Amino acid sequence: MIGARAGRWTWFRRVAARAMAGELSAFVVPGPEIALAHGLDLRSAGVVVAETPRHASVLLLVGEIPTGLGRAASVAYAQMPRPRAVLALGVADVSALPPPDVSAPLEQSGLVQGVEGVRRWLSTFAWSTEATAFDTEAVGTETRYTCPMHPEVVQDRPGKCPICGMDLVLREEAGTPHGHHDTSGRHGGTEQAESGRTEYSCPMHPEVVQDEPGTCPKCGMRLEPREGAEHAGHGPTEREGSEGGHRDGGEQGDADHGSMQHGGFMSMVMMTKDLPRSDDGLPMEWVEAPFGPLFPGLPGGLALVLTLDGDTVAEAQVRPGTTSRTLEEGWRCPADDLPDRLASLDPLSPASYRLLALRALEAAAGVVAGEERERARAGALERERAASHLDWLAQLGHLLGLRWLVERAGELQHALVTAKGASDISSARDGSAKMVGRLERTPLLEARLRGAGFLHSDRREELRGPVGRAAGRASDARCGDPVYRKLGFEPVVREGSDALSRLRVRLAEIGQSLDLALAAGSSELSPSPMPHDVSGHGSASVETPRGEATLSVHLTGGEVTHVVLTTPSERHVGLVGAVAEGREVSDALLGIASLDLSPWEVDR
Amino acid sequence: MTSPSYVLLFALGLYVVAVLEGWASTGRLRLARPLRAGVALLGRETVTPRRPDRVLYETAPVLLLAAGLLAAAVLPLDRGAVSVDLATGVLFVNSALAYVMVGLVMAGWAPGGAYSLVAGWRFLGQLVAYSMLIVMPITAVAMRAQSLSTTAAVSSQVHLWNLAAQPLGFALFFLAAMAVCFLPPFDLPVSSDLAGGVAGEYTGARLAVVRLARVALVLTLSLAVVVFFLGGWLGPVLPGWVWTFVKTIAVAATMLVVGRLVPRLREEQVLAWGWKYGIPLALVNILWVGLTLLGVR
Repeated sequence: MIGARAGRWTWFRRVAARAMAGELSAFVVPGPEIALAHGLDLRSAGVVVAETPRHASVLLLVGEIPTGLGRAASVAYAQMPRPRAVLALGVADVSALPPPDVSAPLEQSGLVQGVEGVRRWLSTFAWSTEATAFDTEAVGTETRYTCPMHPEVVQDRPGKCPICGMDLVLREEAGTPHGHHDTSGRHGGTEQAESGRTEYSCPMHPEVVQDEPGTCPKCGMRLEPREGAEHAGHGPTEREGSEGGHRDGGEQGDADHGSMQHGGFMSMVMMTKDLPRSDDGLPMEWVEAPFGPLFPGLPGGLALVLTLDGDTVAEAQVRPGTTSRTLEEGWRCPADDLPDRLASLDPLSPASYRLLALRALEAAAGVVAGEERERARAGALERERAASHLDWLAQLGHLLGLRWLVERAGELQHALVTAKGASDISSARDGSAKMVGRLERTPLLEARLRGAGFLHSDRREELRGPVGRAAGRASDARCGDPVYRKLGFEPVVREGSDALSRLRVRLAEIGQSLDLALAAGSSELSPSPMPHDVSGHGSASVETPRGEATLSVHLTGGEVTHVVLTTPSERHVGLVGAVAEGREVSDALLGIASLDLSPWEVDR
Repeated sequence: MTSPSYVLLFALGLYVVAVLEGWASTGRLRLARPLRAGVALLGRETVTPRRPDRVLYETAPVLLLAAGLLAAAVLPLDRGAVSVDLATGVLFVNSALAYVMVGLVMAGWAPGGAYSLVAGWRFLGQLVAYSMLIVMPITAVAMRAQSLSTTAAVSSQVHLWNLAAQPLGFALFFLAAMAVCFLPPFDLPVSSDLAGGVAGEYTGARLAVVRLARVALVLTLSLAVVVFFLGGWLGPVLPGWVWTFVKTIAVAATMLVVGRLVPRLREEQVLAWGWKYGIPLALVNILWVGLTLLGVR
């Protein structure tokens, strides 16, 4: 019983367990946007989405969980206070996590059934005498005790230093994400390799840093241990300083002339003289903080590391690999299987990639899909685009603190994903027109978004999809398509190249796509009849909701032998630094969100 | 009004505000929600950050709650019904509320996590923006009452509520009060773009205290708006405490709902607007009140 609290049932615990069952809050992995894309309506199932694992009682796993994401989920699980349950919807076993307490199929009825199951689980197993601790490699801690005077003395339990008799102090060792990392929540496993390294530095000359103990070449003072680069952070450094305070009482009284760690007086100028300067000229200690891969408001799986200078982002990096699944090997397969396999690339836009595979195969075989079929395909593609933009809008609503937008966009997205026919789509169209109207009338929204995520015009050529069209670039793979020409398609282009113009492009495209989907009549992705044992080469491109994706395939005797895929998110992921650096945190996050990156397209 | 009934009325107010907060944040009005959520939190494990600043971590939620309750202690619920009738009550409200900032910065700093740290700083920035807009409208109220006592502030409104006498002061104070309670759109310290911010590191019973403290703040600030601008207990037919209660809940509901219609503000926007527009307007308000007082005389 890993999720249970240790102890026997008492009357209060029974009452509390019943209360918990009624107030379920779930931390969703990979993220609420994936749940929406799979057509799940969490709200109507009685689940509140928690912003942090600390406030969640259920870890809700949705769809495929790649290994890297599984590790991140195990960290989130370890942070959830017990009693905590794992509800897995359509997930095979995730190795880093304990087996799910409740499993259900990946559909709305499965969700409802799963939530019932979690409620029953809580009222049966919230407390158990057989509760055991959860240990995951990803949060493994190595606690060591060391002498503040003699760093070479290290042991695994408290005691006294054999050399000087001082009390040993606690130190957490390599392989340990701690300080900001464990407390601030979501991090993947990747940063652990670098974190927690102990280095030695001179208290007077911080630029002197080496890996082993010794004396400072400038002043001859003994170098002091400190934790590595990850720990230049604000909080922990201070506290380690207070532990280091012991030292002053010891032999080394002469060290007591300056360093903050010694509690003596130090002027602001001295204290900050070696700290990095940002554009505003205010020196502060920089804190490196992980945002993602499970950060609410950012796409699940996108692992960012932001270096914060106060609340300004000094540096933004993307840590790749969270959603790696070794998919590409699977793409060398019989030609008939490729569409299915490519469709599983990105849970946020499966139809686009299925269509891309169909078109590339047809090009290789020299087959022309008739106009009727292409029309239906355009219908499916446009429906997905509208749904994807709505999903993005719900995420934006989360970052902006507009709860109504999160709900309304989510409802419309759900309606669209589950739509049966033209009447459902046209009612979703009316609903989204109303929502867009309300959003445009929202006071202060323009002031909030204008300028956030701005990209300079010299990057314009790199931009694709809505991000490119918001920079005045009419780049759209649909422009040359005869079917679209017949449907009267004109790309939506706006100027500004910031979060506001990207929002406007997507808002206009929601309406446009639904109109196109209605005009196309049907929405279906059917393969054209293809000859067997085709050999040849073909390439195709599709305007996915995030921009143009291209695929070229080589076929040999009906087998796919070579695949080259480029996706819009691969291009755009390099823009993260440009939209985030030098910005205040919330602006940086808005800017990154406005790019609508899909980590699934980046790591395969 | 006796002290047990005073406490009971305040507790009832807390519960009603908690119900309203649940309604504003989830869109569903459920009467049992605060009780159930509270019991559920008490039943959950307490997870503390690995190496918190223990003293700050443990005291911050309590301090936050204490700040709200202390400020409420000098606010009258009815004629003669005030727990501590300080001659300088108006000033005391302001000084008690200063501890809200201290509590939040402590809670942000203590866990040693980047999200909560940034969230705590943001509130510090927010305080610089709103604090003058708490003090200056209160000054104008005290000018009209010719007294720093909160009961005198109510008595001065017998003929005309301050809402009508100094509408500008009311608007500024109302917005500043929302910023003190870190309600949307001023919810920078607990914002969803920092994974819960300051509250994100608290679990179990401590989280319950943090949430209760926020509810207490909303109730206290609504009560302050009622006492300073909406005539406190003044009203026809019904007993005074009923009027106070009804007005306070109405103000709290408005505070909880209106902010959710606009996006969360950026810290530097709050600062810029607070200083560029808020403070000059507050000065105009003081000038206006001074002139009307001269005119009346």
